[in-house]
Amino acid sequence: MNQAVTVAHTSAIDALHTAYVAALDQGDMAAWADTFAVAPEASYFCISSENDRRGFPLALMYDDCRGRIDDRVSFVTKVWAGTYEPYRMRHFIQRLSCEVAGDNQYRVTSGFTIMMTPEGGATTVLTSGEYRDLIEIQGDRAVFCERRAVYDADVLPRYIVFPF
Amino acid sequence: MTSQFIGNPAIGSPEANYTGESPVIWPAKINQIPKEIFGDEALFEEELKKIFYGDCWHAVGHTAEVPNVGDFKTFYLGRVPLLIARGKDNQVRVFFNSCTHRGNQLETSVSGNRKEFECPYHRWLFSLDGTLAACPGSKEFAPDFKQENFGLVEVKSEQFLGLIMVTLGKNTPPLTEWLGESTVPTMTALLGGDGRLKLLGYQKVQYASNWKGYNDNDGYHAPLLHTGFRLLNWQGGKGFQRMTSGGHVLFEAELKPATGNGFLKDPSLIEFKGSNPERGSVITQLFPMTVMTKHMDVINLRFAIARSHDVTEVHYAYFAHEDDSEELVKHRIRQSSNLLGPCGMVSMEDAAIFQRIHIGNQTPGFAEFQKGVTSLTEVPMNVKQNDETGNLPRWEHYRKVMGFKREGEQ
Repeated sequence: MNQAVTVAHTSAIDALHTAYVAALDQGDMAAWADTFAVAPEASYFCISSENDRRGFPLALMYDDCRGRIDDRVSFVTKVWAGTYEPYRMRHFIQRLSCEVAGDNQYRVTSGFTIMMTPEGGATTVLTSGEYRDLIEIQGDRAVFCERRAVYDADVLPRYIVFPF
Repeated sequence: MTSQFIGNPAIGSPEANYTGESPVIWPAKINQIPKEIFGDEALFEEELKKIFYGDCWHAVGHTAEVPNVGDFKTFYLGRVPLLIARGKDNQVRVFFNSCTHRGNQLETSVSGNRKEFECPYHRWLFSLDGTLAACPGSKEFAPDFKQENFGLVEVKSEQFLGLIMVTLGKNTPPLTEWLGESTVPTMTALLGGDGRLKLLGYQKVQYASNWKGYNDNDGYHAPLLHTGFRLLNWQGGKGFQRMTSGGHVLFEAELKPATGNGFLKDPSLIEFKGSNPERGSVITQLFPMTVMTKHMDVINLRFAIARSHDVTEVHYAYFAHEDDSEELVKHRIRQSSNLLGPCGMVSMEDAAIFQRIHIGNQTPGFAEFQKGVTSLTEVPMNVKQNDETGNLPRWEHYRKVMGFKREGEQ
């Protein structure tokens, strides 16, 4: 690709990351889903680095279509409501690479750290990992066509309610 | 040459350390479990000796996790590190993950493939079958040193349709006897009929829960917890719950197709593509803490590690069958990932209960079983499908293994 990454596009990509972090750190699942493209093939995967490295397809969250992304919102807000022990998250993201992948599309990787605070408890690291994204610029905003969150923990320190 | 483990004094045996004077007095009423057993560090040490290092079998893996020569995985039985490896003769063996020289942990990876295992400390080299192949400088070793005596120490293991079971006990009965005949049909159905499974991947998580609290609430329990069932208008089919005197629980139910009620935008999550709806839901729970389930098209073996009195680690391993079509494998991956694990639509609540019940159990008194209790003195062996009394024979087995006396018992 000869196409350069424009400043307008990088700032749209940054804004997308910010919107994603803001959504999850506030536990706002609808806002989380809004960061994804509305196209039926939009996808979100949350997978251990062990499975990823060994080529195992199985994931912790396997949302390979827009319908499943919307269903995940329902899991958290309707199915699981009132059962789980509440916890708050803070995501820290650092962009590692950004390459042109097509018309208005970019392959972007970022490192992430998620801090977790259970209600009534101290803050600890939930996990770190890497986002591998396919991001599309639509008008003046960017959306995820694909987001693959590959988390580092071989064993997660608790059961998981919210996406990474 | 490998040597078989036949009781290691370093690990301790019940006879050597247990005085027989138990601090726990078990209530006379059959439906009460004393909550004090869930938060006691000293009791956990006793459980390690009597159960995890005692005369019980423990599931540590399935041969499908190490399908090729040289494949290995490491695991733990209590605090004991294990190395499970497939040799050149295609046999899967379980060793202590410890160099026979000075005891250094031999393999640090969770899994992988090796031609041999080398200890970095003094470069002792072990073949895949455990044989000590090389040990530099052996001319200066002790006068009684014989290389053939220093193979990796093999842990006694047996397999059931590829399910790898180990025991450290000296008097453990043979696996078939320990499982009992009645477990065979259910376990066979669960393991794809012939155990020819293909690993799809893992979900691994720690729960802040005592291992007994985890085990008492995993496997089968009343569906009231699961809002998902109601939202999906998902009714359970006819089936049975059966217990063995050895503390195992078997559950089978016919699978009724879920209508989904229009709740899911992608209803393929709850689609059944398998061929045996009459055995659509199959669970086996082996004493002390192994839960295996085949629900819809998910085949899930849960290999659990009792890390301490308040931490339990569970490796959810998911499988397809070797003969599955590509389409069915894809479906299994999509269903397995999102339905029944520590983040599954139906089961995330289970995980929450493991931890919440552990917190609640740090109070005086008893966990009370009610649904299906017909006698306060007889341990029920015939229970209905939805009774919570299915757990009681396992508790009775635990009580006996631990040597706890019932109130009023001499």
